[in-house]
Amino acid sequence: MDLKLDHYTEDDTEIVVVEGEIDVYTAPRLRELLIDLVNKGNVHLVVNMEKVEFLDSTGLGVLVGGLKRVRAHDGTLDLVCTQERILKIFRITGLTKVFGIYESVQEAIDKRKSK
Amino acid sequence: MTATDPENTGPRKAGPADGAAVSAHVSVEPADILLIEDDAQDAFLVEELLADTPLDSRITWVPTLGDARKHLTGFRGCVLLDLNLPDASGLGLLREVLTAVESAAVVVLTGLHDEHEGIAAVAAGAQDYLVKGQVDGSLLARSLRYSIERQRADENARQLREAEMYARENMRLERGLLPQVLLDSSPLSHLSFYRPGRKRAIVGGDFFDAVQKDGTTHIVIGDVSGHGPDEAALGVSLRIAWRALVMGGVAEERLLPALEEILISERAQEEMYATLCQTSLDVEREQARIRLLGHPPPLLITSGEVKEILAVPRPPLGVFPEDESDVEEVAFPRGSTLLFYTDGLVDAFDGGPPDRLEVHGLRRILIDVLDRGTSLTDLPGQVVDEAERHNGGPLQDDVAMLLMTYGEQA
Repeated sequence: MDLKLDHYTEDDTEIVVVEGEIDVYTAPRLRELLIDLVNKGNVHLVVNMEKVEFLDSTGLGVLVGGLKRVRAHDGTLDLVCTQERILKIFRITGLTKVFGIYESVQEAIDKRKSK
Repeated sequence: MTATDPENTGPRKAGPADGAAVSAHVSVEPADILLIEDDAQDAFLVEELLADTPLDSRITWVPTLGDARKHLTGFRGCVLLDLNLPDASGLGLLREVLTAVESAAVVVLTGLHDEHEGIAAVAAGAQDYLVKGQVDGSLLARSLRYSIERQRADENARQLREAEMYARENMRLERGLLPQVLLDSSPLSHLSFYRPGRKRAIVGGDFFDAVQKDGTTHIVIGDVSGHGPDEAALGVSLRIAWRALVMGGVAEERLLPALEEILISERAQEEMYATLCQTSLDVEREQARIRLLGHPPPLLITSGEVKEILAVPRPPLGVFPEDESDVEEVAFPRGSTLLFYTDGLVDAFDGGPPDRLEVHGLRRILIDVLDRGTSLTDLPGQVVDEAERHNGGPLQDDVAMLLMTYGEQA
Protein backbone atom coordinates (compact mmCIF):
# COMPACT_ATOMS: atom_id res chain seq x y z
CA MET A 1 0.00 0.00 0.00
CA ASP A 2 2.78 2.39 -0.78
CA LEU A 3 4.06 4.56 -3.56
CA LYS A 4 7.70 5.43 -4.22
CA LEU A 5 8.52 8.30 -6.55
CA ASP A 6 11.86 9.25 -8.07
CA HIS A 7 12.89 11.39 -11.01
CA TYR A 8 16.01 12.20 -13.04
CA THR A 9 16.94 14.06 -16.19
CA GLU A 10 17.99 12.33 -19.39
CA ASP A 11 18.65 14.47 -22.44
CA ASP A 12 15.95 17.13 -22.35
CA THR A 13 13.47 14.70 -20.80
CA GLU A 14 12.49 14.27 -17.17
CA ILE A 15 12.03 10.60 -16.26
CA VAL A 16 9.61 9.88 -13.41
CA VAL A 17 10.02 6.45 -11.83
CA VAL A 18 6.92 5.19 -10.08
CA GLU A 19 6.95 2.15 -7.83
CA GLY A 20 4.03 0.55 -5.95
CA GLU A 21 0.36 1.43 -6.00
CA ILE A 22 -1.18 4.51 -7.59
CA ASP A 23 -4.58 4.73 -5.97
CA VAL A 24 -6.95 7.23 -4.43
CA TYR A 25 -4.64 7.59 -1.40
CA THR A 26 -1.25 7.86 -3.11
CA ALA A 27 -2.22 9.58 -6.39
CA PRO A 28 -2.07 13.11 -4.87
CA ARG A 29 1.71 12.72 -4.42
CA LEU A 30 2.20 11.81 -8.06
CA ARG A 31 -0.02 14.75 -9.04
CA GLU A 32 2.13 17.12 -6.95
CA LEU A 33 5.35 15.85 -8.51
CA LEU A 34 4.03 16.20 -12.08
CA ILE A 35 2.75 19.73 -11.40
CA ASP A 36 6.05 20.65 -9.79
CA LEU A 37 8.10 19.34 -12.73
CA VAL A 38 5.96 21.22 -15.26
CA ASN A 39 6.13 24.41 -13.18
CA LYS A 40 9.91 24.14 -13.25
CA GLY A 41 9.84 24.10 -17.03
CA ASN A 42 10.02 20.36 -17.76
CA VAL A 43 7.52 19.78 -20.54
CA HIS A 44 8.80 16.46 -21.88
CA LEU A 45 8.02 13.78 -19.32
CA VAL A 46 8.35 10.00 -19.40
CA VAL A 47 6.65 8.08 -16.60
CA ASN A 48 8.29 4.72 -16.04
CA MET A 49 5.53 2.37 -14.82
CA GLU A 50 7.55 -0.87 -14.86
CA LYS A 51 7.32 -1.22 -11.07
CA VAL A 52 3.70 -0.14 -10.68
CA GLU A 53 1.66 -2.86 -9.00
CA PHE A 54 -1.76 -1.26 -9.08
CA LEU A 55 -3.43 1.65 -10.82
CA ASP A 56 -6.98 2.81 -10.12
CA SER A 57 -9.26 5.38 -11.75
CA THR A 58 -7.89 8.24 -9.64
CA GLY A 59 -4.35 7.29 -10.72
CA LEU A 60 -5.42 7.30 -14.38
CA GLY A 61 -6.97 10.73 -13.79
CA VAL A 62 -3.64 12.06 -12.47
CA LEU A 63 -1.76 10.77 -15.53
CA VAL A 64 -4.36 12.28 -17.85
CA GLY A 65 -4.17 15.54 -15.87
CA GLY A 66 -0.38 15.55 -16.31
CA LEU A 67 -0.75 14.97 -20.04
CA LYS A 68 -3.16 17.90 -20.35
CA ARG A 69 -0.75 20.09 -18.43
CA VAL A 70 2.30 19.36 -20.63
CA ARG A 71 0.23 19.63 -23.81
CA ALA A 72 -0.74 23.15 -22.77
CA HIS A 73 3.02 23.91 -23.09
CA ASP A 74 3.42 21.92 -26.34
CA GLY A 75 5.04 19.15 -24.30
CA THR A 76 4.66 15.38 -24.11
CA LEU A 77 3.97 12.76 -21.46
CA ASP A 78 4.79 9.22 -22.51
CA LEU A 79 4.66 6.00 -20.53
CA VAL A 80 7.00 3.05 -20.22
CA CYS A 81 5.16 -0.15 -19.48
CA THR A 82 5.51 -3.80 -20.50
CA GLN A 83 3.41 -5.34 -17.71
CA GLU A 84 0.36 -6.97 -19.24
CA ARG A 85 -1.70 -6.30 -16.12
CA ILE A 86 -1.19 -2.53 -16.33
CA LEU A 87 -1.41 -2.43 -20.15
CA LYS A 88 -4.85 -4.06 -19.92
CA ILE A 89 -6.08 -1.15 -17.80
CA PHE A 90 -5.03 1.31 -20.50
CA ARG A 91 -6.59 -0.84 -23.22
CA ILE A 92 -9.99 -1.28 -21.57
CA THR A 93 -10.24 2.40 -20.72
CA GLY A 94 -9.38 3.40 -24.29
CA LEU A 95 -6.38 5.36 -23.01
CA THR A 96 -3.92 3.59 -25.33
CA LYS A 97 -5.25 6.10 -27.86
CA VAL A 98 -4.22 8.97 -25.63
CA PHE A 99 -0.79 7.99 -24.27
CA GLY A 100 2.32 6.88 -26.10
CA ILE A 101 3.24 3.61 -24.37
CA TYR A 102 6.77 2.24 -24.91
CA GLU A 103 8.92 -0.67 -23.81
CA SER A 104 11.86 1.36 -22.55
CA VAL A 105 12.80 4.90 -21.56
CA GLN A 106 15.21 5.08 -24.49
CA GLU A 107 12.52 4.05 -26.95
CA ALA A 108 10.15 6.69 -25.55
CA ILE A 109 12.77 9.44 -25.96
CA ASP A 110 13.81 8.29 -29.45
CA LYS A 111 10.23 8.05 -30.70
CA ARG A 112 9.42 11.54 -29.50
CA LYS A 113 12.50 13.03 -31.14
CA SER A 114 11.79 11.36 -34.47
CA LYS A 115 8.30 12.90 -34.60
CA MET B 1 -27.59 -26.41 37.15
CA THR B 2 -29.40 -23.71 39.15
CA ALA B 3 -29.47 -19.97 38.60
CA THR B 4 -27.51 -19.24 41.76
CA ASP B 5 -23.96 -20.01 40.88
CA PRO B 6 -21.55 -18.51 43.43
CA GLU B 7 -18.70 -18.41 40.96
CA ASN B 8 -20.43 -16.05 38.59
CA THR B 9 -17.28 -15.13 36.69
CA GLY B 10 -17.02 -17.54 33.79
CA PRO B 11 -16.74 -15.92 30.35
CA ARG B 12 -19.78 -17.88 29.14
CA LYS B 13 -21.92 -15.96 31.61
CA ALA B 14 -20.99 -12.55 30.27
CA GLY B 15 -23.73 -12.66 27.65
CA PRO B 16 -26.05 -9.66 27.22
CA ALA B 17 -28.97 -11.60 28.69
CA ASP B 18 -27.18 -12.04 31.97
CA GLY B 19 -27.86 -8.78 33.81
CA ALA B 20 -25.76 -9.59 36.86
CA ALA B 21 -22.72 -10.46 34.80
CA VAL B 22 -23.04 -7.31 32.69
CA SER B 23 -23.27 -4.87 35.61
CA ALA B 24 -20.46 -6.67 37.41
CA HIS B 25 -18.36 -6.29 34.28
CA VAL B 26 -19.00 -2.53 34.20
CA SER B 27 -18.04 -1.88 37.81
CA VAL B 28 -14.78 -3.83 37.69
CA GLU B 29 -13.44 -2.08 34.61
CA PRO B 30 -10.63 0.16 35.88
CA ALA B 31 -11.07 3.91 35.39
CA ASP B 32 -8.14 5.88 33.97
CA ILE B 33 -7.76 9.13 35.89
CA LEU B 34 -5.43 11.90 34.80
CA LEU B 35 -5.00 14.16 37.83
CA ILE B 36 -3.70 17.61 36.92
CA GLU B 37 -3.00 19.25 40.30
CA ASP B 38 0.00 21.33 41.39
CA ASP B 39 -0.58 20.95 45.14
CA ALA B 40 1.09 17.69 46.22
CA GLN B 41 -1.06 17.49 49.35
CA ASP B 42 -4.31 17.81 47.41
CA ALA B 43 -3.09 15.18 44.95
CA PHE B 44 -2.21 12.85 47.80
CA LEU B 45 -5.68 13.41 49.27
CA VAL B 46 -7.41 12.46 46.00
CA GLU B 47 -5.38 9.26 45.82
CA GLU B 48 -6.18 8.41 49.43
CA LEU B 49 -9.91 9.10 49.00
CA LEU B 50 -10.12 6.92 45.91
CA ALA B 51 -8.11 4.12 47.51
CA ASP B 52 -10.91 3.67 50.05
CA THR B 53 -13.66 3.28 47.43
CA PRO B 54 -14.70 0.28 45.30
CA LEU B 55 -13.76 2.25 42.17
CA ASP B 56 -10.80 0.53 40.59
CA SER B 57 -8.76 3.46 39.32
CA ARG B 58 -5.39 4.00 37.66
CA ILE B 59 -4.19 7.48 38.56
CA THR B 60 -1.60 9.42 36.62
CA TRP B 61 -0.58 12.59 38.44
CA VAL B 62 0.99 15.60 36.73
CA PRO B 63 1.53 19.00 38.42
CA THR B 64 1.25 21.38 35.42
CA LEU B 65 -0.57 21.80 32.11
CA GLY B 66 2.80 21.53 30.37
CA ASP B 67 3.34 18.10 31.90
CA ALA B 68 -0.24 17.08 31.11
CA ARG B 69 -0.07 17.84 27.38
CA LYS B 70 1.68 14.65 26.33
CA HIS B 71 -0.94 12.56 28.17
CA LEU B 72 -4.01 14.38 26.81
CA THR B 73 -4.06 13.36 23.14
CA GLY B 74 -6.12 10.22 22.74
CA PHE B 75 -6.80 9.94 26.49
CA ARG B 76 -10.10 8.15 27.11
CA GLY B 77 -10.71 8.17 30.89
CA CYS B 78 -11.48 11.11 33.16
CA VAL B 79 -9.34 14.21 33.63
CA LEU B 80 -9.49 15.62 37.15
CA LEU B 81 -8.42 19.20 36.68
CA ASP B 82 -7.43 21.85 39.23
CA LEU B 83 -8.42 25.18 37.72
CA ASN B 84 -5.47 27.00 39.32
CA LEU B 85 -2.20 25.71 37.92
CA PRO B 86 1.13 27.53 37.87
CA ASP B 87 1.17 27.67 34.05
CA ALA B 88 -2.53 28.14 33.27
CA SER B 89 -5.83 28.75 35.00
CA GLY B 90 -9.58 29.28 34.73
CA LEU B 91 -11.75 28.67 31.69
CA GLY B 92 -8.86 29.19 29.28
CA LEU B 93 -7.13 26.20 30.88
CA LEU B 94 -10.35 24.16 30.74
CA ARG B 95 -10.88 24.93 27.05
CA GLU B 96 -7.36 23.87 26.17
CA VAL B 97 -7.82 20.57 28.01
CA LEU B 98 -11.26 19.93 26.43
CA THR B 99 -9.88 20.57 22.96
CA ALA B 100 -6.89 18.30 23.52
CA VAL B 101 -8.78 15.29 24.91
CA GLU B 102 -11.74 15.19 22.50
CA SER B 103 -13.28 12.02 23.89
CA ALA B 104 -12.41 12.05 27.61
CA ALA B 105 -14.53 13.38 30.46
CA VAL B 106 -13.25 16.39 32.41
CA VAL B 107 -14.15 17.05 36.07
CA VAL B 108 -12.80 20.25 37.62
CA LEU B 109 -11.61 20.91 41.16
CA THR B 110 -12.26 24.34 42.65
CA GLY B 111 -11.48 26.00 45.96
CA LEU B 112 -14.15 26.64 48.58
CA HIS B 113 -14.57 30.27 47.51
CA ASP B 114 -14.49 29.61 43.78
CA GLU B 115 -17.62 27.52 43.41
CA HIS B 116 -18.91 29.93 40.72
CA GLU B 117 -15.90 28.86 38.63
CA GLY B 118 -17.07 25.26 38.86
CA ILE B 119 -20.54 26.19 37.61
CA ALA B 120 -19.02 28.15 34.71
CA ALA B 121 -16.78 25.17 33.92
CA VAL B 122 -19.76 22.82 33.60
CA ALA B 123 -21.43 25.33 31.29
CA ALA B 124 -18.24 25.35 29.21
CA GLY B 125 -18.20 21.56 28.77
CA ALA B 126 -16.86 19.98 31.97
CA GLN B 127 -18.91 16.96 33.11
CA ASP B 128 -18.92 17.98 36.80
CA TYR B 129 -17.15 20.11 39.42
CA LEU B 130 -16.01 19.23 42.93
CA VAL B 131 -15.20 21.66 45.72
CA LYS B 132 -11.97 20.82 47.55
CA GLY B 133 -12.46 20.09 51.21
CA GLN B 134 -16.09 19.17 50.70
CA VAL B 135 -15.52 15.88 48.94
CA ASP B 136 -15.46 12.45 50.45
CA GLY B 137 -14.35 9.26 48.75
CA SER B 138 -17.73 7.98 47.64
CA LEU B 139 -18.78 11.35 46.17
CA LEU B 140 -15.49 11.61 44.28
CA ALA B 141 -15.71 8.04 42.98
CA ARG B 142 -19.33 8.49 41.91
CA SER B 143 -18.62 11.76 40.14
CA LEU B 144 -15.72 10.25 38.22
CA ARG B 145 -17.65 7.11 37.27
CA TYR B 146 -20.76 9.02 36.16
CA SER B 147 -18.68 11.50 34.20
CA ILE B 148 -16.94 8.74 32.30
CA GLU B 149 -20.25 6.99 31.53
CA ARG B 150 -21.94 10.26 30.48
CA GLN B 151 -19.01 11.13 28.24
CA ARG B 152 -19.25 7.69 26.64
CA ALA B 153 -23.00 8.11 26.08
CA ASP B 154 -22.44 11.56 24.51
CA GLU B 155 -19.77 10.10 22.27
CA ASN B 156 -22.05 7.23 21.18
CA ALA B 157 -24.91 9.64 20.49
CA ARG B 158 -22.60 11.79 18.37
CA GLN B 159 -21.40 8.78 16.36
CA LEU B 160 -24.98 7.60 15.89
CA ARG B 161 -26.03 11.04 14.61
CA GLU B 162 -23.12 11.02 12.19
CA ALA B 163 -24.00 7.53 10.94
CA GLU B 164 -27.63 8.56 10.44
CA MET B 165 -26.58 11.62 8.49
CA TYR B 166 -24.35 9.48 6.27
CA ALA B 167 -27.14 6.97 5.70
CA ARG B 168 -29.63 9.70 4.74
CA GLU B 169 -27.09 11.34 2.44
CA ASN B 170 -26.34 8.00 0.78
CA MET B 171 -30.03 7.28 0.25
CA ARG B 172 -30.50 10.65 -1.40
CA LEU B 173 -27.51 10.08 -3.67
CA GLU B 174 -28.51 6.54 -4.51
CA ARG B 175 -31.95 7.70 -5.60
CA GLY B 176 -30.26 10.19 -7.90
CA LEU B 177 -27.74 7.72 -9.29
CA LEU B 178 -30.00 4.68 -9.68
CA PRO B 179 -33.46 5.85 -10.71
CA GLN B 180 -36.68 4.25 -11.84
CA VAL B 181 -36.07 3.77 -15.54
CA LEU B 182 -38.52 5.15 -18.12
CA LEU B 183 -39.64 2.12 -20.11
CA ASP B 184 -43.41 2.10 -19.74
CA SER B 185 -44.38 1.31 -23.31
CA SER B 186 -41.23 -0.56 -24.28
CA PRO B 187 -41.19 -4.21 -25.45
CA LEU B 188 -38.12 -4.59 -23.24
CA SER B 189 -38.12 -5.79 -19.68
CA HIS B 190 -35.42 -4.77 -17.27
CA LEU B 191 -33.91 -5.62 -13.94
CA SER B 192 -31.55 -3.47 -11.91
CA PHE B 193 -29.21 -4.38 -9.09
CA TYR B 194 -26.88 -2.50 -6.78
CA ARG B 195 -24.55 -3.66 -4.03
CA PRO B 196 -22.31 -1.16 -2.23
CA GLY B 197 -18.63 -2.03 -1.81
CA ARG B 198 -16.92 -2.32 1.53
CA LYS B 199 -14.43 0.48 1.22
CA ARG B 200 -16.28 3.50 2.52
CA ALA B 201 -19.35 5.04 4.12
CA ILE B 202 -20.38 7.13 1.15
CA VAL B 203 -21.63 5.89 -2.22
CA GLY B 204 -19.41 5.99 -5.26
CA GLY B 205 -20.33 7.54 -8.58
CA ASP B 206 -21.90 4.49 -10.26
CA PHE B 207 -25.02 5.41 -12.20
CA PHE B 208 -27.41 4.01 -14.79
CA ASP B 209 -30.57 4.99 -16.62
CA ALA B 210 -32.76 3.82 -19.49
CA VAL B 211 -35.23 5.90 -21.48
CA GLN B 212 -37.41 4.96 -24.40
CA LYS B 213 -37.76 7.57 -27.11
CA ASP B 214 -39.36 7.24 -30.56
CA GLY B 215 -39.18 3.46 -30.73
CA THR B 216 -35.56 3.20 -29.54
CA THR B 217 -34.51 2.41 -25.99
CA HIS B 218 -31.39 4.19 -24.85
CA ILE B 219 -29.41 2.82 -21.93
CA VAL B 220 -26.47 4.30 -20.09
CA ILE B 221 -24.34 2.85 -17.32
CA GLY B 222 -21.28 4.59 -16.01
CA ASP B 223 -18.89 5.39 -13.22
CA VAL B 224 -17.27 8.68 -12.24
CA SER B 225 -13.54 8.29 -11.52
CA GLY B 226 -12.44 8.50 -7.91
CA HIS B 227 -14.55 8.29 -4.78
CA GLY B 228 -16.34 10.77 -2.61
CA PRO B 229 -19.25 13.19 -2.44
CA ASP B 230 -18.02 15.25 -5.43
CA GLU B 231 -17.91 12.13 -7.59
CA ALA B 232 -21.36 10.95 -6.49
CA ALA B 233 -22.82 14.40 -7.10
CA LEU B 234 -21.28 14.50 -10.58
CA GLY B 235 -22.73 11.03 -11.27
CA VAL B 236 -26.20 12.34 -10.41
CA SER B 237 -25.72 15.40 -12.64
CA LEU B 238 -24.58 13.27 -15.57
CA ARG B 239 -27.43 10.81 -15.19
CA ILE B 240 -30.09 13.53 -15.12
CA ALA B 241 -28.43 15.49 -17.94
CA TRP B 242 -28.34 12.36 -20.11
CA ARG B 243 -32.03 11.64 -19.41
CA ALA B 244 -32.94 15.23 -20.29
CA LEU B 245 -30.97 15.04 -23.54
CA VAL B 246 -32.72 11.80 -24.58
CA MET B 247 -36.18 13.05 -23.59
CA GLY B 248 -35.48 16.34 -25.38
CA GLY B 249 -35.04 14.42 -28.63
CA VAL B 250 -31.30 14.97 -29.13
CA ALA B 251 -30.05 12.59 -31.86
CA GLU B 252 -28.39 9.40 -30.64
CA GLU B 253 -24.95 10.31 -32.03
CA ARG B 254 -25.10 13.75 -30.40
CA LEU B 255 -25.95 12.49 -26.89
CA LEU B 256 -22.42 11.74 -25.68
CA PRO B 257 -20.71 14.80 -27.15
CA ALA B 258 -23.37 16.93 -25.44
CA LEU B 259 -22.97 14.99 -22.19
CA GLU B 260 -19.22 15.52 -22.37
CA GLU B 261 -19.71 19.28 -22.58
CA ILE B 262 -21.92 19.09 -19.51
CA LEU B 263 -19.36 17.01 -17.61
CA ILE B 264 -16.59 19.49 -18.40
CA SER B 265 -18.68 22.42 -17.21
CA GLU B 266 -19.97 20.68 -14.06
CA ARG B 267 -16.93 18.85 -12.70
CA ALA B 268 -15.30 20.11 -9.49
CA GLN B 269 -11.75 19.24 -10.61
CA GLU B 270 -10.20 19.21 -14.03
CA GLU B 271 -9.05 15.61 -13.52
CA MET B 272 -12.52 14.09 -13.08
CA TYR B 273 -13.83 11.88 -15.85
CA ALA B 274 -16.47 9.21 -16.35
CA THR B 275 -16.32 5.82 -18.00
CA LEU B 276 -19.59 4.72 -19.54
CA CYS B 277 -21.39 2.47 -21.96
CA GLN B 278 -24.31 3.84 -23.95
CA THR B 279 -26.43 1.38 -25.85
CA SER B 280 -29.33 2.11 -28.17
CA LEU B 281 -31.69 -0.83 -28.66
CA ASP B 282 -33.61 -0.71 -31.89
CA VAL B 283 -36.15 -3.55 -31.57
CA GLU B 284 -37.57 -3.04 -35.05
CA ARG B 285 -34.20 -3.91 -36.60
CA GLU B 286 -33.34 -6.21 -33.69
CA GLN B 287 -30.11 -4.30 -33.34
CA ALA B 288 -28.04 -2.88 -30.51
CA ARG B 289 -25.71 0.06 -31.16
CA ILE B 290 -23.04 0.19 -28.49
CA ARG B 291 -20.71 3.04 -27.61
CA LEU B 292 -17.96 2.37 -25.08
CA LEU B 293 -16.05 5.19 -23.44
CA GLY B 294 -13.36 3.70 -21.25
CA HIS B 295 -15.91 1.20 -19.94
CA PRO B 296 -15.86 -2.62 -20.03
CA PRO B 297 -18.25 -4.05 -22.65
CA PRO B 298 -21.70 -5.50 -21.87
CA LEU B 299 -22.31 -9.24 -22.17
CA LEU B 300 -24.94 -10.61 -24.53
CA ILE B 301 -26.97 -13.66 -23.50
CA THR B 302 -28.73 -15.35 -26.44
CA SER B 303 -30.39 -18.75 -26.01
CA GLY B 304 -28.12 -19.74 -23.14
CA GLU B 305 -24.91 -18.57 -24.83
CA VAL B 306 -22.88 -15.74 -23.35
CA LYS B 307 -20.96 -13.47 -25.69
CA GLU B 308 -18.47 -10.75 -24.83
CA ILE B 309 -19.08 -7.84 -27.15
CA LEU B 310 -15.72 -6.96 -28.64
CA ALA B 311 -16.20 -3.24 -28.98
CA VAL B 312 -13.08 -1.08 -28.92
CA PRO B 313 -13.42 1.55 -26.20
CA ARG B 314 -12.78 5.20 -26.82
CA PRO B 315 -11.17 7.22 -24.00
CA PRO B 316 -13.49 8.07 -21.11
CA LEU B 317 -15.83 11.05 -21.16
CA GLY B 318 -14.01 14.24 -20.21
CA VAL B 319 -10.47 13.12 -21.06
CA PHE B 320 -9.86 14.56 -24.52
CA PRO B 321 -13.15 15.37 -26.19
CA GLU B 322 -13.29 14.00 -29.70
CA ASP B 323 -15.97 13.71 -32.28
CA GLU B 324 -18.30 10.77 -32.44
CA SER B 325 -16.60 7.77 -34.05
CA ASP B 326 -16.78 4.06 -33.20
CA VAL B 327 -20.17 2.46 -32.87
CA GLU B 328 -20.40 -1.30 -32.45
CA GLU B 329 -23.52 -2.79 -34.00
CA VAL B 330 -24.66 -6.22 -32.81
CA ALA B 331 -27.75 -8.33 -33.44
CA PHE B 332 -30.26 -8.25 -30.60
CA PRO B 333 -32.98 -10.78 -31.45
CA ARG B 334 -36.13 -11.36 -29.41
CA GLY B 335 -35.36 -13.32 -26.27
CA SER B 336 -31.83 -11.96 -25.87
CA THR B 337 -30.54 -10.17 -22.80
CA LEU B 338 -27.80 -7.58 -22.44
CA LEU B 339 -26.01 -7.42 -19.12
CA PHE B 340 -24.57 -4.01 -18.27
CA TYR B 341 -22.36 -3.53 -15.21
CA THR B 342 -19.90 -1.15 -13.59
CA ASP B 343 -16.23 -2.05 -13.25
CA GLY B 344 -16.40 -2.92 -9.53
CA LEU B 345 -17.52 -6.35 -10.76
CA VAL B 346 -14.64 -7.12 -13.15
CA ASP B 347 -12.08 -5.58 -10.76
CA ALA B 348 -12.72 -8.39 -8.26
CA PHE B 349 -9.68 -10.56 -7.60
CA ASP B 350 -9.72 -13.92 -9.36
CA GLY B 351 -8.59 -16.21 -6.55
CA GLY B 352 -6.37 -13.52 -5.01
CA PRO B 353 -4.05 -10.68 -6.01
CA PRO B 354 -2.78 -9.76 -8.50
CA ASP B 355 -5.15 -11.54 -10.94
CA ARG B 356 -8.48 -9.83 -11.56
CA LEU B 357 -11.68 -11.35 -12.93
CA GLU B 358 -11.82 -9.08 -15.97
CA VAL B 359 -14.48 -9.49 -18.61
CA HIS B 360 -13.61 -13.07 -19.55
CA GLY B 361 -13.75 -14.10 -15.88
CA LEU B 362 -17.17 -12.50 -15.56
CA ARG B 363 -18.30 -14.36 -18.67
CA ARG B 364 -17.11 -17.64 -17.12
CA ILE B 365 -19.08 -16.93 -13.94
CA LEU B 366 -22.16 -16.02 -15.95
CA ILE B 367 -22.01 -19.29 -17.90
CA ASP B 368 -21.69 -21.29 -14.65
CA VAL B 369 -24.60 -19.48 -12.99
CA LEU B 370 -26.83 -19.93 -16.07
CA ASP B 371 -25.88 -23.62 -16.30
CA ARG B 372 -27.28 -24.08 -12.80
CA GLY B 373 -30.65 -23.10 -14.23
CA THR B 374 -30.70 -19.71 -12.48
CA SER B 375 -33.53 -17.43 -13.60
CA LEU B 376 -32.70 -13.95 -14.89
CA THR B 377 -34.33 -12.48 -11.79
CA ASP B 378 -31.82 -14.19 -9.51
CA LEU B 379 -28.91 -13.75 -11.91
CA PRO B 380 -27.36 -10.44 -10.70
CA GLY B 381 -27.33 -11.47 -7.03
CA GLN B 382 -25.79 -14.85 -7.80
CA VAL B 383 -23.21 -13.38 -10.15
CA VAL B 384 -22.05 -10.93 -7.44
CA ASP B 385 -22.04 -13.72 -4.80
CA GLU B 386 -19.86 -15.77 -7.11
CA ALA B 387 -17.55 -12.78 -7.81
CA GLU B 388 -17.22 -12.27 -4.03
CA ARG B 389 -16.27 -15.93 -3.65
CA HIS B 390 -13.49 -15.50 -6.25
CA ASN B 391 -12.46 -12.25 -4.54
CA GLY B 392 -12.22 -13.95 -1.16
CA GLY B 393 -14.74 -11.61 0.48
CA PRO B 394 -16.94 -8.59 -0.23
CA LEU B 395 -15.92 -6.55 -3.28
CA GLN B 396 -13.87 -3.41 -2.76
CA ASP B 397 -16.00 -1.26 -4.99
CA ASP B 398 -19.71 -0.70 -5.60
CA VAL B 399 -21.39 -2.81 -8.28
CA ALA B 400 -24.34 -1.64 -10.35
CA MET B 401 -25.97 -3.94 -12.89
CA LEU B 402 -28.74 -3.56 -15.39
CA LEU B 403 -30.28 -6.41 -17.39
CA MET B 404 -32.25 -5.62 -20.53
CA THR B 405 -34.26 -8.37 -22.18
CA TYR B 406 -36.15 -8.17 -25.46
CA GLY B 407 -39.43 -9.73 -24.36
CA GLU B 408 -40.33 -11.09 -20.94
CA GLN B 409 -37.65 -12.05 -18.46
CA ALA B 410 -37.87 -15.72 -17.54
